[in-house]
Amino acid sequence: MLRKRWQQALGLALLAALLAAAGYTLWQRGRRPDDLWARVQRSGVWRVGLDPSFPPFESLDEAGQIVGYDVDLARAIAARWGVTVMFHSIAFDSLLEAVRAGQVDAAISALSVEPRRARDVAYSAPYFEAGLMLVVRADGKEEIRQVADLAGKRLAVEWGSAGDVEGRALGRRLANLTLLSFARPDEALQAVAEGRADAALVDGVSAWQFAGREAGVRLLGGAVVSDPYVIVLPIGSPGLLRAVNEALAELQADGTLAALRRKWFGPHAD
Amino acid sequence: MRCTVHKADIRESIVRYRPLSRNVLSPAAADGIIWPVEGTRMPSYAVRVGAWWAACRRRLALGAALLMLLAIVGAPPRPFVALGPQQEVRTTNDKIGVHTRLTDEVEPWKIQRTLQMVREMGASWIVEYFPWAYSEPRPGRYDWAHADWVVEHARRQGLTVVARLGFVPEWARPKDTTETYLEEARFPDFARFVGQFVRHFRGRVSYIIIWNEPNLSLEWGYRPVDPEAYVRLLRLAYQAAKEADPDVRVLAGALAPTLAPPGSAEGMDDLIYLQRMYDAGAREFFDLLAVHAYGWSFSPDEPAAPDVINYARAELARAVMVRNGDADKLAMITEGGWNDHPRWTKAVRPAERIAYTIRAYEKAAQEWPWCQAVVLWAFRFPWATRTYQDYFTFVAVDFTPKPIYLEVQRYALGR
Repeated sequence: MLRKRWQQALGLALLAALLAAAGYTLWQRGRRPDDLWARVQRSGVWRVGLDPSFPPFESLDEAGQIVGYDVDLARAIAARWGVTVMFHSIAFDSLLEAVRAGQVDAAISALSVEPRRARDVAYSAPYFEAGLMLVVRADGKEEIRQVADLAGKRLAVEWGSAGDVEGRALGRRLANLTLLSFARPDEALQAVAEGRADAALVDGVSAWQFAGREAGVRLLGGAVVSDPYVIVLPIGSPGLLRAVNEALAELQADGTLAALRRKWFGPHAD
Repeated sequence: MRCTVHKADIRESIVRYRPLSRNVLSPAAADGIIWPVEGTRMPSYAVRVGAWWAACRRRLALGAALLMLLAIVGAPPRPFVALGPQQEVRTTNDKIGVHTRLTDEVEPWKIQRTLQMVREMGASWIVEYFPWAYSEPRPGRYDWAHADWVVEHARRQGLTVVARLGFVPEWARPKDTTETYLEEARFPDFARFVGQFVRHFRGRVSYIIIWNEPNLSLEWGYRPVDPEAYVRLLRLAYQAAKEADPDVRVLAGALAPTLAPPGSAEGMDDLIYLQRMYDAGAREFFDLLAVHAYGWSFSPDEPAAPDVINYARAELARAVMVRNGDADKLAMITEGGWNDHPRWTKAVRPAERIAYTIRAYEKAAQEWPWCQAVVLWAFRFPWATRTYQDYFTFVAVDFTPKPIYLEVQRYALGR
């Protein structure tokens, strides 16, 4: 009887210890993300990592200052929170690890979503579509409104690029699609502007850069193959993630993102 | 499971499990049902379980046997991929090669598909990595299964295999060291493995590369690089290889092109390292020089210079060979190429990568008679690395050929 009671007491003690350990772990996990967002607000500083080697998103100007779309975006978000941004220059391949290690609070550096890394970091809502975009002449004479309308048309691509891969796939599906390859994306886009091609399929950054300068072309609707840029945040930081997403939504609604696009890609980048 | 519990089962349980139970049942307890008998306490849980086990164990044993039989019969068969008919490579340039990466590719059909696509691209050569640790996981115990798959499928596709040997097993190095750490006392172990590899693949693999980029500290166990020690390793490996097969061709060097300054902790300039190899007597212990020729952001026609890393640096390595009396030996580019990652500082545009790659193969065929083959990095990875490395490949993880594959194929087939 006494032995049985000891066994029961031991079992209960073990169970209690396990529950306590589990609870502590969950509490720690719950504690950290709240701490991060709270710390940003308390300190008034948001640490953002980026690799300043990718204009117009981030690069160094002649004075050695980091400038670009992402820089302005980070400052616009921070302004809504009433904090300042401290930029950390980090090599591109190390950005996610820097976020994971807590060296920075976020990475804003023309980063795409990597589904395999969703276990390690959190991704914000998209703020820039960098995927494959269909570009046509602004006057719309070719009556191309969607991919299916490319049948029988001449499609310009950058040789060897993702646009080339997609273009070859379209060529197998659409009748009489002619693929024209160019060494650089702006050459493919120039061909459209000059009427040597009916449309171009290029990455969103190249498309906006060209369309922003040249009034003669326009981007058709959404991406043919989407690859948006997002802000990378520590996983388990729901407060910070929520704050970033809310800020992005507000910046979208009040036209700030569109203004940034015009500033960094050209006056016609609408 | 319900089993009829008989008195004998209860008795047996009590006898068996008495230490677990302080209760005693009257032998008059029920026929088939355990009831409390007046004057006795309720049977303890252990007695119940014991009685149940005594009653049911035969059925349980029969059930377990049936389950095992079902598991064996129903288990998926071991993977089997037929080698298929013997193939030949059709190509206008028999120096075209690619570095495959089948070391960690476990599915035979993917091994076959990879090598089939290599052949269809018009490449005749592959360099493949055969880690020592994978083939000799314990001293003297060899497992050639995966290596056999790779070699047999490659041969069936008409490809020539160049086997890169390295990767120290844990049993051959101190704890907490990397797979590139090989102390001199273990050189004979590596040489023995080389001999076993050559013996096992005699008649099937005719080219082996001894180590990889020993002029980089990280490839030398994060120790200061040591060309003289590498030559001592090379000598032992060469002798073991030749003893196993006098016709095997031993490649040495495979040095990383680098401009590391003297005394750098990262490594040693490849041209300086190569000369020190010769000074240490390496000449007698290799048949071909393995060269790594990365173009970075330069065209393959960019002239070579000692202070520049480009494709033509291979000519400078060749010059060292000639200066040291090895003009009659050939070299082979066993790693190299271009990258088209959009953010990597050493990358080029996709169109440039295609043009440079084709020109590199063409240059070797037309201008470098001393170069036996150009094997570029890397054909395909088993999984996406999600780094700039993915932009070296010719074929995507899902076997979708990239435009560079299709263009090299077009060039190789003379279209």
